Formats: sequence, structure tokens, C-alpha cells
Amino acid sequence: MTIRTIRTMAAGLVLLPLLAAGCTGQTAPRTQPGAATGGPAMCAAPRPGTDIPPETPTTIDVVEQAYRCVLANYYSGPRLDNRALLTAGFAAFTQQLNRGGRDLPEATPPALSGDREADWAAFETVYRRVTDRLPDDAALQEELAAATLRAMVAALGDDHAHWTKGVRRPPDYYDGDQYGLGLRASVGAQVAGNPGIALPPLFVTAVLGGAAKAAGVRPGDIIESINGSAPFIDGTVTPAAVGALYPRYPEADPVRLDLLREKTGRRWSVTLKPGLYQPDPATTPVVTTGLPREGIGYVRLAGFAPDSADRVLRAISRLRAGRTLTGLVLDLRGNGGGNPEEVNRLLGAFAHGKVTAYQCTVDGACEAMRTDDSVALLNLPLAVLTDRGCASACEHFSAAVKDLRLGRLVGTRTAGAVSGPAQPYLLGDNTILGFPSRHHLAPGREVIDRIGVAPDHHVPLTPKDAAAGRDPALDRALALLSE
Amino acid sequence: MSHAREPKPILRAGLAAAAGLAVLAASACSAPAPPRTVAAASAAPSAGATGPATLPAPTGPHPVGTTALHLKDTSRPDPWVPEAKARELMVTLWYPARARTGQRAPYMTPKESELTLKGRRVTGAPYDLLSKTRTNAFSGAEPAGRKGALPLVVLSPGFTMPRSTLTALAEELAGGGYVVAGIDHTYENHATTFPDGRVAECVACDSDTDPGFGTRVAGVRAADVSFVLDRLTGPDAAWEGSALIDASRIAMAGQSIGGASALAAMVTDSRVRAGINMDGTAYARLPKSGLSRPFLFLGSPGHTPGGRDNSWDRDWKLLTGWKRWLVLPGGDHQSFTDVPLLADALGIEQPGSLPAARSVEITRTYVRAFLDLHLRGERQPLLDGPSPRYPEVEHCAPAAKTCE
Repeated sequence: MTIRTIRTMAAGLVLLPLLAAGCTGQTAPRTQPGAATGGPAMCAAPRPGTDIPPETPTTIDVVEQAYRCVLANYYSGPRLDNRALLTAGFAAFTQQLNRGGRDLPEATPPALSGDREADWAAFETVYRRVTDRLPDDAALQEELAAATLRAMVAALGDDHAHWTKGVRRPPDYYDGDQYGLGLRASVGAQVAGNPGIALPPLFVTAVLGGAAKAAGVRPGDIIESINGSAPFIDGTVTPAAVGALYPRYPEADPVRLDLLREKTGRRWSVTLKPGLYQPDPATTPVVTTGLPREGIGYVRLAGFAPDSADRVLRAISRLRAGRTLTGLVLDLRGNGGGNPEEVNRLLGAFAHGKVTAYQCTVDGACEAMRTDDSVALLNLPLAVLTDRGCASACEHFSAAVKDLRLGRLVGTRTAGAVSGPAQPYLLGDNTILGFPSRHHLAPGREVIDRIGVAPDHHVPLTPKDAAAGRDPALDRALALLSE
Repeated sequence: MSHAREPKPILRAGLAAAAGLAVLAASACSAPAPPRTVAAASAAPSAGATGPATLPAPTGPHPVGTTALHLKDTSRPDPWVPEAKARELMVTLWYPARARTGQRAPYMTPKESELTLKGRRVTGAPYDLLSKTRTNAFSGAEPAGRKGALPLVVLSPGFTMPRSTLTALAEELAGGGYVVAGIDHTYENHATTFPDGRVAECVACDSDTDPGFGTRVAGVRAADVSFVLDRLTGPDAAWEGSALIDASRIAMAGQSIGGASALAAMVTDSRVRAGINMDGTAYARLPKSGLSRPFLFLGSPGHTPGGRDNSWDRDWKLLTGWKRWLVLPGGDHQSFTDVPLLADALGIEQPGSLPAARSVEITRTYVRAFLDLHLRGERQPLLDGPSPRYPEVEHCAPAAKTCE
């Protein structure tokens, strides 16, 4: 199979290209030499150009493979205390047992010494002793192994560490469809992992289609409760409640919202059923352009997808055809990231010979990423719009703009989800484990992961702005560029 | 489509906005981009070269003639280059000829060869090599046949691929008495040359990472097909042999997104009576009431029932007429094109595990059988179940998620 789409635009997974590449396949993965102990095969990057076969059940051998994979390849792998992984895994294992009402006296962790091999052997022995006493139920066994593996990955506390299993498309999905309630709110889906600076009130910022559109929900509507839970309690966000706004397939339970429309004072409830919907095609391209004011170009980049830097540059040259631009607004709100090379290429249009970021090992050995100096300089004053949805590669870009003084950032602080570029590893059950081997630092060598990049001009959106269709951040950017 | 990119580290937030989609988009594989053929087998530029390829002779009774048409649809601007107020298309016709007169047709122009090889990052062969591929069709040979007697088959290539990459199939069908119209969907491949020398490059490649891109391409192609049918069968037909065509017997086949476009064209144009999708993720929304015209899915292992691409399973349920789902376990996405035949000459890895001659024979045989059944009403036991003559081809039962 050779023709495949690498759809990196829609935000979400570390491994989009791989999944995409894995769309047609049955070629067996390249077998890897077994680990020295004779255990399961080492994890390895999926072979480019081959297809990932269908998933098989996750077993304790796959958990072992993931454990070894993390210790051998993860950013802090050389220093990582293996006991932290095993303890987190064991905790999840016992919780999963309890969830099924099957707790057992043997489900007590072994003593762990910090010896990676010996500790694994002890862990596996107890694990097998427990699972051998359970009914011979494949689904039950798989759920236990999956819960254990998932918890070990979560224990890394790394926003770019993921394990993808059971990722399925809705059977009626068509290319371009989106799944969910059909709305975006002032607190995004990332709230579950990184609540950051979520502030009340919670309100609708965009209606994309689907159930929200059908129910007449509008931007600016304040969401007072979600399935009966308040989105904020004493000013602190309730991640589980807000997270219900962003269901992922196969989650399909209806979500009840209590809404307030400030302008009319109306209070009412809607029940939205998650589903597939077709967004307005005008809103979905990776690159969209406009001229919000004569002489000022506007380019929205929804993700650092392959070729996206060149697309932005071509869009700018089209805007410049037959007119003189005196400034550029680059709208990166909601840009979920993508390929760092695209970031370096786009930055090459604004500066040459600069370091854009560092990627560092746990021992502090850093490799500099640099501007792509083969790109012609645009020589345009720049304003970049950011928000909490600007994540990962988007923060790489934003931090470089700020640190290198290439332009002004306008909007709100970025997501703070930029631990480092994730590498994919294929596991024995044909799932993909992804995590970074290096961590990301901004050009000033400061950490932006978990913290985000602060805008030069803090311009938050209010419910009134959203209801009126105003964009105060864009207005501020235009004012700055007109000074 | 991010042509030929190796997986790269990705700096992307796991929980960033619109998260639900990522997954969807991710598996939206299919459309466009040429990796495997690209990996030149050898570093030395001329090492893999075995000289230009020769296409296998068609097996049918007729000599094959060919001609190229330049058609201009003034009813719509070009969808990829809106400044162009008309959609211009190059269409190659292959047809049964009275005799082998004139010159063997060139496979493509040297410029098209160069841009295609550069676009696919093939470096192991001279850039004009594809233009020297030996074909079996004679340019401008006089068409044979009675008035209104020849069924018509539209062929649509994969994304970034020129129409010539389906020549081996087209010549076979023409030798068997079909008029074949291969369409270059302008700006959707690396190079289309117009008679005045202008070369259209892959403008659509700019937006191939957009969500909904595949759906968009399939829609554009459906419109292209309807326009081409108008010009081949209408009152002011663009081809002197048009009177030979039986406008009530039209089918369409395509590879990759060209195959997806066959379904799209059938949805919008009832003149297309039957269709074949060769290994393309399907994009068109079929009517909820179903599509009752005959359809054949012919795929590589990437398109087995219950596989990662859900689109054939999805559409299978909405196909209510004659239908088959065949898979070549040893096949590749390119097994249904000329690429296997060209691979050695280009010094690139042979796609799939089937010998090139065999994958071409299988594609020709099954496509021909489907067309003979549905456009000519000739019984085709080959399509009824697994055949000892073609053990490489499995018949799939999507409900049971099995193929045998």
C-alpha cells in the first residue's frame, strides 16, 4: 500500500501519521530480537511503509514489553525509578479487580528493590498468581492487562506519553466528519489532564454543528451545569464535569446542559447526544486566510501538519499579490501542534540563524533546533493569536516568537502541553506506545511544558464578546499592527 | 498528501481541542501519497535501470487505438485554482481499432515523466524514463465498431497519479471492445500537459491534509466524470468516434481515490451503471435508501472486512444490488496500476508480493469479467466464488469478516 493520507490536522494523538499509515495492513511487524532475558520482544518504531496489523489482546507480556520500552527509551528512562511504574500499574490492577467485584487476597504487591529485572519478575509472578485464579474470560484478562499498562504510562505524568488501544472510528464515519456534541467551550478538552488556568464562567465559544446546533445553542451561552454538576466549585474547575462536553467515540451517553443566555436572561436545559456531524467546510482547512483590514494579512493555521509552513507562506504571497502588506496576524488559537520541522520552517520566514528550541535529555545534553534559513524572510510585523488550545508544536512556535522578539503574542496563555516530541513504538498487540525521548525547552532554555507561554497582551474572550461575534484579541492585534 | 513522508516525531498535545477527531482523521487513510514506490532500491542513479518498461500486450481480439482530448468545462471555475474560470481536462481514449496504423502512443510526455518521478521522489532512473514506456495502442488509429455498439468505461487514477498509470488495464479493455476514457483530474496529479504546452501541477497537494479532503476530491471527480460523459455522448461530442458509443452502457473504475470517485459519480450520475473501486477508501455519502447498481470492491490487504479503514464496510451495507468484495492478500495498493510493471525500470521496490505480470493479469481479468457481466450481460462464473485459476484472489463475506 502506498497511497495514504497523513492527516495530522485534527488534534489529538501523538501518532497520527502512524495510524494513518497503518490503514491498510496485514504485513507482519518486523520481529525484533528478544530481550536479553528471553522475555518479550523489545519495542521498536513501526516500520515506515508497512501496515500495522489488527490489534490482538493485551497480555502481561505486552505490559512487560511496555515496561521495558519505557525504561529503555523514555526521556527519564535512564534515571527512572522502576518501582514507580510497577506500583502505579499494580494499583490500577487492583482497582480494576475491585471494579469487577473480584478482589483477591493474593492481590498484594511484592517487595520491590529497585532492580529492574528482579522487580519485574516479582511483579509478574504476583500478577499471574492473581489472574490464574480468575475465570478463564479473555475480556476480563485483557481489561486487567490494559488497565495496568495504561496506569504505567499515566505514571510518567507526561502529556506526550500515550498508549493507543481500541481506537476506532464510528462505523458511519465519513472523511471530514467530527464526533461529539458539536460545540466548543471556554474551557477545552485538555482540562482533564491539565486544568491550568480555567476560569469561570464556562461558556460556549463556537457551535460547530451536530446536536448543539440542532438544539439552538449559541456562542456566548453560559453553561451553568453539565449532567447536574457545576463546572466550577468555589472557582475551581471540575474537570470531569467539563470533560463531558468532549465525548470521544464510542462514548455516546446524552449530556444535559443547563444554559443561561445573558442577553435575554433566559435559563433552559438541553440534552445533547454525541454523534457524527459535518462541520462547515469553510472552518476545516488547515490554512485559511483573510484581509481583516487593508494592508494587514490574516492567516489561521489549525495545526502544524505536513507542508503547513509552505502552505502558510504561499497564502501570504497570494495576499501580497497586487497589494502591499504592512503587517500579518497569524492565528494559532486551537492549533494542537504537529511537526516541529514545520515550526522551524515557518519561523525561518521571520528570522534566520536563530535557535527555536532545545531538545534535552534527562542528563541535560541539549540539541538545538534552528530556523530553516532556506526560507525567504517576510519582513512583516507579526502578531500571533494564542489561547489555551495552542498546544505542543504551537507552543514551540509561540515561545520562539516571544523569546526571539519576532512579533507580539496576543490572547491568552498557551496550553502548557509540550513535554517533547513523541516517538512511536509498536507493541506486541499491535498497539502503539508513544512518548518523548527528549524534553522541550524554549529558546531561553526555559520550560514551557505545564506552564504555557504567556502572551505579551492578555486579551481573554468574554461571553458577551462570543455572543456578539466579537474577537477582541484580533482587534487588539490589528491595533498593534496599525501603530 | 504528505507525499512519501516517513513517520516523524510529532509534537502534539494529546488532549488538545477537537480531540475526538484525531482518531477519526488518523484512520482516514487511503487517499493520496506515494511512499513505498518511492524508495529507490539503489543509491546509484542508473543501477536499477533495466531500460524502459514494456506493457504486456492486451489479450482481446481488437487492435487498440488511442487519442487524447482537451476538454473545457466552462460551466464551473476550476475547484483548485478558482482564478481559472473553466475546468480544463485532458482525457485519453482507448478504443478498438480497425488496424495497427500509425505510431505507438507515447506513455506520457517527458515533462510529465519528470514531474511525476520528482513528485514521487524516485531518483533511481532518468527523469524521462516513463515517457519511453512501450505501449500497445496506436495514436489516431481508425476506430472499429458499429454505431452505438461499444460500451464505455471511465477510468480514474489515484491521487497524484496521471491517467497513464492505468494504461495496461485500459488497453486490455479496448482490445476487448470497450471504449475507455482515462481522465486526468487537473491539479490532482504531479503533471498534466495541455496541447499548448502548459503544464498543470499538483495544486490539490497543497490542501491534502485538510479534514474532508478526500470527500472534496471525490466530489470534484464526480463532476469531471459527468462533464466527460456529456462530451463523449452528447450532441456535440468531442470525439469523432463518439457515435460508436452506447450511452446506455457506461461503467467506471478507478484506483485509490479514483475508485472512491466511481462511487461518487454513481451517486450523482445515473448514467454510470456499474462501478469498481480498486483499493480506495470510499468517501461519497451513498443515499440512505441504498445504491442498487452493481459494484465491485477489489482491494489489497488494507481493505479486508473489519479492517482499519471502515469505509468499505460502511458502504457495503448500502449497496443493495449485485456486489462483490475481493481481496488480494499478496497485493499492494499499486497492484491495480501499471506501477508493478514500471518498478524494475525505475529501480524501485516491487509493490506487494505478486509478480508484476500476475497482478496486471488479475486486475485485467477481474475488471473485464465484471464489465462483461454488467455491460454485456455475459455470464461470469469467475465472479461467483474462489477460482483455482486465481488462487491469489479471495472472496470476502463482510458480515462474517472473512475472506476465502
